[in-house]
Amino acid sequence: MKLSTVQADAIQELGNIGAAHAATTLSMMLGSAVEMSVPAIKAVDISQLGSVMGEESAAMVAFELQGEIQHGGYIIFYISRESAVRLTNTMLGLTEMNRPLNEMDESALIEVGNIMVSAFLDATAELLGFIMLPSPPALSIDMAHAAMQSLIAQMGEEIDEVLLFSTELVCEEHKIDSDIIMMPENATLQKIVELLENMMKAS
Amino acid sequence: MPSQHEQTAMIGIGEYRVGSFPMMTIGLGSCIGLTLYDENLKIGAMVHIMLPESAGRTDRPGKYADTAVPAIINELVALGCRKRSIVAKMAGGSCMFEYFGANLNIGERNVLKVKALLTANQIRLMSEDVGGKVGRSVTFFPANGGIVSIRRADGTTSEL
Repeated sequence: MKLSTVQADAIQELGNIGAAHAATTLSMMLGSAVEMSVPAIKAVDISQLGSVMGEESAAMVAFELQGEIQHGGYIIFYISRESAVRLTNTMLGLTEMNRPLNEMDESALIEVGNIMVSAFLDATAELLGFIMLPSPPALSIDMAHAAMQSLIAQMGEEIDEVLLFSTELVCEEHKIDSDIIMMPENATLQKIVELLENMMKAS
Repeated sequence: MPSQHEQTAMIGIGEYRVGSFPMMTIGLGSCIGLTLYDENLKIGAMVHIMLPESAGRTDRPGKYADTAVPAIINELVALGCRKRSIVAKMAGGSCMFEYFGANLNIGERNVLKVKALLTANQIRLMSEDVGGKVGRSVTFFPANGGIVSIRRADGTTSEL
């Protein structure tokens, strides 16, 4: 679906609130400040996915959006492999950068993703009065395009274009750069837009 | 002999190309990178398939196995290739997220569908690198014996 400027602004604000909560939890886990970008909305034709995500190695913790909608789409905690090592090093008190990611790292990444995505969805649920729950997490540490492409292939709806809402979360002190990316299905997006529009009318 | 420095064509999801220039698909997860190669004419085709079944959709033939396989065969035949001198290679069809893959393994379904279609069209599948939990980037060199080179996220490479 095509978003009007007003709808895009409203969703950006929603993303802002969700990401702010996620940033706060990340900041608490790391014990240092976390900055967030203005949420970006991108419509990407599937044939051009490679221009958004390529062969770079990244850890992605993906959750299906569930709750009041059966297949709501996906929300993803995305972190480059390098930042992922810095993140788990900070959490586990390690310093070695050139090391493989082991089971301990994987658990830590899943846990961070879980906490951040839950904070994001709690905040948006409170604002919208519409509950989106995260499914159990699934982790991939591999080529970003390969992981993203696999999620798009299993979207419930037939799609040629995806809408990506992404907010960058950066911790300068530990040089950790991550993103929260929401990829809603059309029905979810319509529902969110409708709720946001009602809120704007009411205020 | 075409130049070795000929520009590589990037084949996005649902796209295909036909020719003698190098072609590449990056970051295949559950998707399939399928190549057909005619050893006599030294031309080939590469397609980046996302799903097994088109269910009647015709606007993006490269996106679905059941429309993509006939589409690239027809393109090659139109250029003078004989079906019996065409050989196929494929890569991809992995399961990147184990939890989601349990009940809905699209990668595996893609692989099975492509194989069935190749058999039905009497095209020989020469080699494959499919399945597992890994992403693959695939480059195809029709001018160079139809070599297919595969790179994984950890940097390891292999050839089909």
